Amino acid sequence: MRRALIRTLLYAAALGLAAQAVLPLLWMLSTSLKPAREVFATPPAFVPAAPTLENFVRLVRDTAFLTYFWNSVAVAGLTVLLTMAVGALGAYSLTRFAFPGRELVAKLILCTYMFAPIMIVIPVYILARRLGIVNTHTALVLSYASFCLPFSLWLLRAFFLSIPIELEEAAHVDGAGRGRAVLYIVLPLALPGLIATSIFTFTLAWNDYIFTRILIASDELKTLPVGVQDLFAAAVVDWGLVMAAGMLITIPALACFMAVQRHLVAGWGTGGLKG
Amino acid sequence: MRVRAGAAVLGVLWILPALVLIGALILYPVGYAIWLSFLDKHSFFPAERWVGLGNYLKIARDVEFWDSLWKSAVYAAATTGLQLVLGVAAALVLHAPFRGRTAIRALVLFPYMIPTIVAVIVWRWLLNETYGVVDHLLLRAGLVREPIVWLGVDHMMTSLIAVSVWQFTPFVVVSVLARLQTIPLELYEAARVDGAAAWARFRHITLPQLRAVLFVVVLLRSIWMFTKFDTVWLWGEGAGAGREIRTLPIYAYMRTFTYYQAGFGAALAVIMFVMLMAATLVYFRLYWREEEVVA
Repeated sequence: MRRALIRTLLYAAALGLAAQAVLPLLWMLSTSLKPAREVFATPPAFVPAAPTLENFVRLVRDTAFLTYFWNSVAVAGLTVLLTMAVGALGAYSLTRFAFPGRELVAKLILCTYMFAPIMIVIPVYILARRLGIVNTHTALVLSYASFCLPFSLWLLRAFFLSIPIELEEAAHVDGAGRGRAVLYIVLPLALPGLIATSIFTFTLAWNDYIFTRILIASDELKTLPVGVQDLFAAAVVDWGLVMAAGMLITIPALACFMAVQRHLVAGWGTGGLKG
Repeated sequence: MRVRAGAAVLGVLWILPALVLIGALILYPVGYAIWLSFLDKHSFFPAERWVGLGNYLKIARDVEFWDSLWKSAVYAAATTGLQLVLGVAAALVLHAPFRGRTAIRALVLFPYMIPTIVAVIVWRWLLNETYGVVDHLLLRAGLVREPIVWLGVDHMMTSLIAVSVWQFTPFVVVSVLARLQTIPLELYEAARVDGAAAWARFRHITLPQLRAVLFVVVLLRSIWMFTKFDTVWLWGEGAGAGREIRTLPIYAYMRTFTYYQAGFGAALAVIMFVMLMAATLVYFRLYWREEEVVA
């Protein structure tokens, strides 16, 4: 009897947890599929009576949404490439080469992990102006990559540490150089780590608001979060349109998350996310 | 591995690109912010004038600064506290065995993985005083007579705290859940043999085992909440951010980009940084001292 009660409570709690996380997002989906008169109807209905893609069509046709979307894809994609190239080299160095100050470097990297964007974005902006790269995607990619690097290095370092060094030594004995040993032995074994790190980096660049808000002025260079905020800042909020935009930004972020969900808890233990 | 001649050189060479990026775009800006904080400088024009501690003296007498500091403290303390309590409770539920656990564990993380702009627009819509479903449900249940104006001056901080807790608690859940899975089951079995009740098991086994992870979680979450910009800024509808939720990061941003006082803004950022460093050191000290007592 008591056992049954505990089980019931457990299931209720689990369902409650799922509901609080998902229902707000389902409400967004529902609103995005409603025609205008249903969006503003009282009482609001959870299931649209006459579902339509009208909001999505208007979003793509009448606003610069697609431009923002491609900007986001390009910036996040380039950020991942740069972070992974620089991060994998660095993490390999931290785990495989002995050099003076190595431990210090690792600790320093951990320290910068605590810095929040607001503390560096003001000087970064002034710096970018001086270099003449303000209002360019270059400035965004460089900022995101440096901002992601500390935790990417930390995460990749953990993955590289888990690969036995003997495997590489065996390759050396067989006459393979360092480059080939890394290419054919280390990188394939570190693949789950590389994928997880890429996704974290992608999510950070995809979700970020503040760097774009400050570094980008031209409408045609804006990424999604800033572009959608401007859509939302219109005098009369077109909620159907805004919710449709919300859906289209959320889908890539959640798709990435579902793809690496299994590696996530493992990565988390080594400090894989921030925000 | 044998330390070969040249390995050290190669090691430095391979980490160099990462260090250059981190140095140029994180460490240098922090240093530059410190320098800027001693200048009277316009955010866009090159003219600058050395004012020494002038900005800091102005800040000390600035009513708005003290107000924003208080708002930040309230926001960080409330959101971190709630995230901690709710996060640990949720992790305990998700650690218990039940059917569909894997799926629910993934779903619970959704709010943390979506962009902040989405979290904000969804909740601004749900909490809309005219068309929002939250007020509608509250009215229908008879809990309130008038719709609550969640985004009005009276409730803005409350609703901001609620949305932030919704968005960031999953971080605590996963961190704690990862640790829970590594607690040896024997500990619980021994306690059960001794007849310890559920609460006693939690208090004397689970909680001590979680100490280290909770230490890190509290540190990171309070730092990140104290310096949170986007959620707060967007909740206040950007530039129109009212005094009600003008936390320190928002105030620093406004000084720099609304009033164009880059030096003043940088000084605010430096103050934020110094306070966090000091708090972190004190926090570590306390933890270590307590650790000694426990040991």
